[in-house]
Amino acid sequence: MAATGSSFSGKAAIVGIGETGYMRGTDQSILQMILAASMTAINDAGLKPSDVDAVIPPPGFVAWDEIAAHLGIPDVRYTSCPQMGGASPTAGLTTAAMTIAMGLAEVVLLPIGWNGYSALRPRPDARPNRRRFSAAFFDVVKNYYAPYGLRSAPWWYSLYLQRYVKEYNVPPEAAGAVALACRAHAQLNDKAMMRGKPLTMDDYLASPYITEPLRKLDCCVETDCAAAVIVTSAERAKDLPHVPVTILGGAEGHPNRPDELINRKDVLDLGLHLAAPRAFRMAGVTPADMDFLQVYDCFTYVVLLELEALGYAKRGEAAGFVKDGNIQLGGKFPLNTHGGLMSQGHCWGMNHIVEATRQLRHDAGPAQVENCELGLVTGYGDLGDGSIAILARGTR
Amino acid sequence: MTDFPEIKVPRPDELDLEFYQAVAKAGALHVQRCNACGAWRHPATYYCPRCASGDYSFAPASGRAKVYSYTVSHMSVEPQWQARAPYVTIVAELDEGPRLIATARDMPADKVAIGMPIRIVPETKSPDFAVFWAESTRKETPDE
Repeated sequence: MAATGSSFSGKAAIVGIGETGYMRGTDQSILQMILAASMTAINDAGLKPSDVDAVIPPPGFVAWDEIAAHLGIPDVRYTSCPQMGGASPTAGLTTAAMTIAMGLAEVVLLPIGWNGYSALRPRPDARPNRRRFSAAFFDVVKNYYAPYGLRSAPWWYSLYLQRYVKEYNVPPEAAGAVALACRAHAQLNDKAMMRGKPLTMDDYLASPYITEPLRKLDCCVETDCAAAVIVTSAERAKDLPHVPVTILGGAEGHPNRPDELINRKDVLDLGLHLAAPRAFRMAGVTPADMDFLQVYDCFTYVVLLELEALGYAKRGEAAGFVKDGNIQLGGKFPLNTHGGLMSQGHCWGMNHIVEATRQLRHDAGPAQVENCELGLVTGYGDLGDGSIAILARGTR
Repeated sequence: MTDFPEIKVPRPDELDLEFYQAVAKAGALHVQRCNACGAWRHPATYYCPRCASGDYSFAPASGRAKVYSYTVSHMSVEPQWQARAPYVTIVAELDEGPRLIATARDMPADKVAIGMPIRIVPETKSPDFAVFWAESTRKETPDE
């Protein structure tokens, strides 16, 4: 499991985590939520804001310099931002690990947050919010998708997910198994938005279509929230309060072409198909070694494709992997043990990193995967960008 | 279709504008083509992904296509589309190679299948924009 060549494998660890509540409506601004989650993560790491010397900001809404100013970080030695939507936080772990391995900085803060619920439904008395998210592909959407009634993510992604379903006869029960696993795990999580709302396969199949093949219950939940993690060197991590969660491998990958969804040779090839083998190679482990999977779950069918990209099933065969409780706690590969974007809340996958850390600290409460040592986190965003991090309990 | 509220017409920039102006002016489908190697591409890019040439034109395309994928939207957050729901959106693979998005016209959802032949027909909306319709090329036969 040793690092090879000049890789950053094993040289950096997650030592602090923080998250706000997962809310439908809040009086807090995006900046306030991001600062609160950041401060929680810094405290959790047993550090002070003045210990932070690098910031990897979100790919929108809030800039690194505001974060540094409000938290009182005196000396930002490095800042950089992966621009890939929901793949950004997990890609940010690679950036953080590289930054540390190269000696550019020692304590890296990665926060993200947004008002995914309130942006669309501002309270009458809410203070004005001018925070916007922007990406290069927005022009493609404006000029080629939106004029056809395809305004946001479910409509864009349905264009290729329907081909997946039709080409491989993917049964809705396979997507339902993902929704049910996330929902079942949310029942164990005090912070999950869908706690207290269990879900059956009949409920899932009765869920109305938004845009085929996506039913309402194939989509994640709109959320106001923020989350953050602190990454530091493996050496420094040993002196901090929690068991370090070491970054063994990390990689990103992007479909060709990356700015547009449908003019790819094979529209079912995600960035993660390229990233996953790179990360496993760097980490020196295999998919079979994972004790849990925190997989970016903006839509259930995207999870199925990601599981194939990770190597858990052949193309078109993820349905066989997710059945019979295999991805539920107690199964072989528990998936999204916090409830995921589907049932905990949409925090751009930073909540997946927080949960993976909690699991590997053996601090995941009733959702704990017993004696877990290794797990993975994925990110997916901006029309198919992919990222992955392979994490381990303790330093190696 | 004229009873529905009008869709919002975008104002494209740069190469997207060149593409739409070529279509809108001709009232016929045009797609970007490399003047060096002849490869077609869409949406337009400044360099050819096959031969790296920056020399291109917007050339007439046949409009012949097949359904590569599609979706049936049962709802929309936009009133002009909610009024049309359910609406069928096609990913059309042109005979020339590139794929583009079009709204199905006179093609009910249960008649759409991947691989079926279609024709892409542009409709000029402004000097700077056109939308594409997808029409079946099959003759209607009762209870096929």
